[in-house]
Amino acid sequence: MAGSALRRLMAEYKQLTLDPPEGIVAGPISEDNFFEWEALIAGPEGTCFEGGVFPARLIFPTDYPLSPPKMKFTCDMFHPNIFADGRVCISILHAPGDDPMGYELSAERWSPVQSVEKILLSVVSMLAEPNDESGANVDAAIMWREQRDEFNAIARRLVRKTLGLPA
Amino acid sequence: MNSEMEFSDEDHGDSHRSLLTHMSCENDSDSEDTCTEILLPENSNSPETEDFVYKVLSVDQIVQHQRNIIDEVNNVLNLPPQVTRIILNHFKWDKESLFENYFESNPKDFFQRAHVLNPFEKKIERESAASTSCAIPQLCGICFCSCDELIGLGCGHNFCAACWKQYLANKTCSEGLANTIKCPAANCEILVDYISFLKLADDSEVVERYQQLITNTFVECNMLMRWCPAPNCSHAVKAVCAEPRAVLCKCGHEFCFACGENWHEPASCSSLKKWVKKCLEDSETSNWIAQNTKECPKCNVTIEKDGGCNHMVCKNPSCRYDFCWVCLGSWEPHGSSWYSCNRFDEEEAKQARLAQQKYRSSMARYLHYYNRYSNHMQSLKMENKLYSNIQAKMDDMQEEMSWIEVQFLRDAVDVLCQCRTTLMYSYVFAFYLMNNNQKIIFEDNQKDMEMATEKLSECLEREITVKNIYEVKQKVLDLSHYCQKRRHVLLCHVREGYENDWWEFKEETTT
Repeated sequence: MAGSALRRLMAEYKQLTLDPPEGIVAGPISEDNFFEWEALIAGPEGTCFEGGVFPARLIFPTDYPLSPPKMKFTCDMFHPNIFADGRVCISILHAPGDDPMGYELSAERWSPVQSVEKILLSVVSMLAEPNDESGANVDAAIMWREQRDEFNAIARRLVRKTLGLPA
Repeated sequence: MNSEMEFSDEDHGDSHRSLLTHMSCENDSDSEDTCTEILLPENSNSPETEDFVYKVLSVDQIVQHQRNIIDEVNNVLNLPPQVTRIILNHFKWDKESLFENYFESNPKDFFQRAHVLNPFEKKIERESAASTSCAIPQLCGICFCSCDELIGLGCGHNFCAACWKQYLANKTCSEGLANTIKCPAANCEILVDYISFLKLADDSEVVERYQQLITNTFVECNMLMRWCPAPNCSHAVKAVCAEPRAVLCKCGHEFCFACGENWHEPASCSSLKKWVKKCLEDSETSNWIAQNTKECPKCNVTIEKDGGCNHMVCKNPSCRYDFCWVCLGSWEPHGSSWYSCNRFDEEEAKQARLAQQKYRSSMARYLHYYNRYSNHMQSLKMENKLYSNIQAKMDDMQEEMSWIEVQFLRDAVDVLCQCRTTLMYSYVFAFYLMNNNQKIIFEDNQKDMEMATEKLSECLEREITVKNIYEVKQKVLDLSHYCQKRRHVLLCHVREGYENDWWEFKEETTT
C-alpha cells in the first residue's frame, strides 16, 4: 500500500517541480519522509490576501491517493473556510460519501484522480472567493458578509505578518 | 373473568384427578369460550402467531433468492444480470416500482438515475474504449505510471489493473461499500457492477467480503427481511408483511420481526425503544450516548458523530438521509458546504430546559415502573439457574416415574419464564400508557398475573422434593395452567385495546 502511495507522491513531486503552477510551491519537508509536505501559497491577486505568502502543511495517509491528505495552514489565518487551528475545510479534501440526492455535484469531492496540484489550486480559489454559507470559522464568515472593510483590514494585517513586516 | 372463576373452582375441588381426565372433563363441562383457552398449552407461545407466515433462510438461500428476483425481472426486461442487479438495488429490490419507473421514463434518464451505463448504447462505448486501450503505453490517472493496458467500466475512465485492485479492496474492506462503489474518476457516477468487480478485484478475500456485504445490504434494504439478532446466527427471516410479530429463528432465538429486539408483547416497538434508551440514561454509557449520538431523523438509527463535519449521511443502506447534525433538519437548505449550522433555534434551548424540569418530576414515576421491570428481569435471569435445579430433580424423580411423567416440571419453568418476560414488558407498556378505565382493567390483569406467577415461582423453587411429588405435580400443573391463562387474558385485552384504539400513549420528551 505505502509503496504505491510513495511512487505516486514522487511522481507528483516531480511534476510539480518541472511544471509548477503559478503562485504555488510544494514538496516534501524532507526527502526521508514523502508523506509530509510543505506548501507555500501566494495570496491571489486582486484580493485582500494579495501579496501574502501562506505556508501550509499537508499530511498524506498511507493509502493515498485512495484517501485524501489533510491540510493545515501553519501561519495565522482568518478566513470563513479555515478553522481557527489552520485546518482547511473544502470539498475536495472530503472523501466522497454517498450523495444520493446529487445536490453536491457542483462541489468537487476527493477521488483518486485528484492531486496535490488540484487541491492547492482549489485552496487558491477558496482564498479568492470564500464560501460564506456558515463557515468553519463563523466569526470570519459573518465579518466577511457584513463588515467587509474590517475583514479586509484583518487580512492585510495577516499578509504583512507572513512577510515579516510590522503590522 | 368468568372462565377464571370456573378454573379456580376446579382447582380447589378436585385436585387428585390426573391431567388427562382434568382436560377432558373441562372440555365436556365448560362453556365454549373456555374451550379455546384450555387448548392453549399446545400452542403456547402466542395465540395469534398462526396467521403470520414467515420463513427462515440461510445465507445460501438468500443468495438464491436474490438470483431468483434478478431472473424474474430479466424475464421481462432482458438486460444483462449485472445491470439488473444495480437497478434492483437502486429500487431497494422492489420489482413493482422498478417496472413502473422503467416503463414510464425515458431509458437514458432511467439508467442515469440508477448510475449505470445504458446497455443499449454500450457497443459504441466499447469500441471507442477498445481503440484507446490499444498497445500504446498510457498514463494511469491514479498511480501516474505508464501502463500497457488500462481498463474501465465503459464510462471512458480507464485505470491500470493494480490501481483497480487496490481501489476496490479499499472500498470494500475499509469503507464497507459494495453496491455503491463508483468509478474512481472525480464526479463520475457510474457504479461498479458485479461482473466487473469479480474481474477487477482479483482477490478471493476481497470478493468474499464483497459478497457478504451484498447479501447484507440486500437483507437490510428489504422491508420483508430481517437478520436474526442472536450472536453467531447467520439466518434471516423473510415474512409476508412487516409487522411487529414474534418470529422464531432456526437457532431457537425468538424476536420481534419489526424491531429485532426480544419478543416484547404487550409493549410496542417504539415504547420498548424509548424505554430501553431511558433505562440506559442512568449509566455512564448513557451519558456518552446522550452526548455523542443522535437518531437519524428519518429512520431512527442511532448515529455517532466521529468527525468535525455537521453534514451527516445516514449509513443505514435503506435510508441514506442527508441531514444537519446541529438542527437535525434536511441538509438541502444548508447549501453545498460542510460547515456548522446557524439555524439553531433559541426556542429549542428553552424547550430543552423545560423538558429537564419535567424529567426530574417524573423520575419518581419512572422508578416505580423501572423497579418492577428490572425485578422481573433479574428473576428471569435467576430462572436459568432454576432450569438446572429442576433438571437435577427430574433426574432424581425418574427413579420412581417415567421420563414422560416428569416433563411437566420443565414445561412449568418454560411457562414461568414466558410469564416473567410478559410481565417485564407489561411495565414498559404501562409506563407509556395514559390513565383511563381500560388501563385500570389492564392493571388488574397485570396484578392477577403477577400474583399467579409468583406463586408458581415459589412452588417450583421450594416445594418440590422427591417424596411429595405426586401432590406437587397436580399443584404445579394447576398453577402453571392458571398462569398461562392469566397471561393469555392480559395479552388478549391489550390486543383488543390496540384494535379498538383504547390505548393512549404519553409522548415523552426525551432529555
